[in-house]
Amino acid sequence: MSKKRKQPEKRKITGDIPTGSFSDIAFLLIIYFLVATTLVKVKSITADLPTGEKQAKAQLDKTPIVNLRGADIYFSDKKVTVENLNARLAALKLAEKPPAKRVIMLESTNATVYQSYFQVLAAISANGGVVAIVEEEE
Amino acid sequence: MKPSRKKKRRTVEVPVASMGDIAFLLIIFFLLLSEFAKDKDLPIDLPVSKQVEKTEAVVVARVAIDSEGVIYFDGDRVDNAKDVEWGVRALLTKTVADEQRHVQFKCDASLSKETFEPVLKAIAEAGGIIEAVGEEK
Repeated sequence: MSKKRKQPEKRKITGDIPTGSFSDIAFLLIIYFLVATTLVKVKSITADLPTGEKQAKAQLDKTPIVNLRGADIYFSDKKVTVENLNARLAALKLAEKPPAKRVIMLESTNATVYQSYFQVLAAISANGGVVAIVEEEE
Repeated sequence: MKPSRKKKRRTVEVPVASMGDIAFLLIIFFLLLSEFAKDKDLPIDLPVSKQVEKTEAVVVARVAIDSEGVIYFDGDRVDNAKDVEWGVRALLTKTVADEQRHVQFKCDASLSKETFEPVLKAIAEAGGIIEAVGEEK
């Protein structure tokens, strides 16, 4: 007697994509981005430089002037340190004055490096001054 | 005597079907809002001052000058200060509010006036408010 072999039932193949772990993958991606991201908050000074050169030139004799000669700082032709400059600018109470009277002229020689320039710019801006760059006449 | 009733345990299922969608929406949101720092790897030794403070201002453009004096506008190398002026001017054409005029300026502390001052003037000429980046003393 021949035994009929039991044929295995054919499995029905369904075309479903397993999406059960999608949320896990997505949250892992979020965590990865959150951990890998560096939030950069830079420290800076804000300087609004007016561009009206002619007006600035006309006021040159009345306006306080800061000279940068290399690493040396001069305020109204007197040599000062950054701390002294800060104190003298604070004494002017620029923040209380109208914008037109807040102007501080900034003149520099070619030997001036950005480090000194930045410190003066920071001092003027911190005391409410508006920086006007003096251009050399060609 | 009453027969004790067996309490049926209620199973509370949290609906998690939409979690994947929410998570992917969050990823897309973060990807769109992220801004990659283009000038992070530039060789710039920032100037030092006591008066620098953390800024909340949103900048419209980033200008950088590296230790070699090469000028970058939004991460791309440009030839001179005039290119910076045109670039900032183009970005600020429809800008009215002061809050939208901030331009970040990074410059190497050792550079001389001839290199950085034309760029500062160019930003000012174009109507930008300079956010000069430095480090705290």
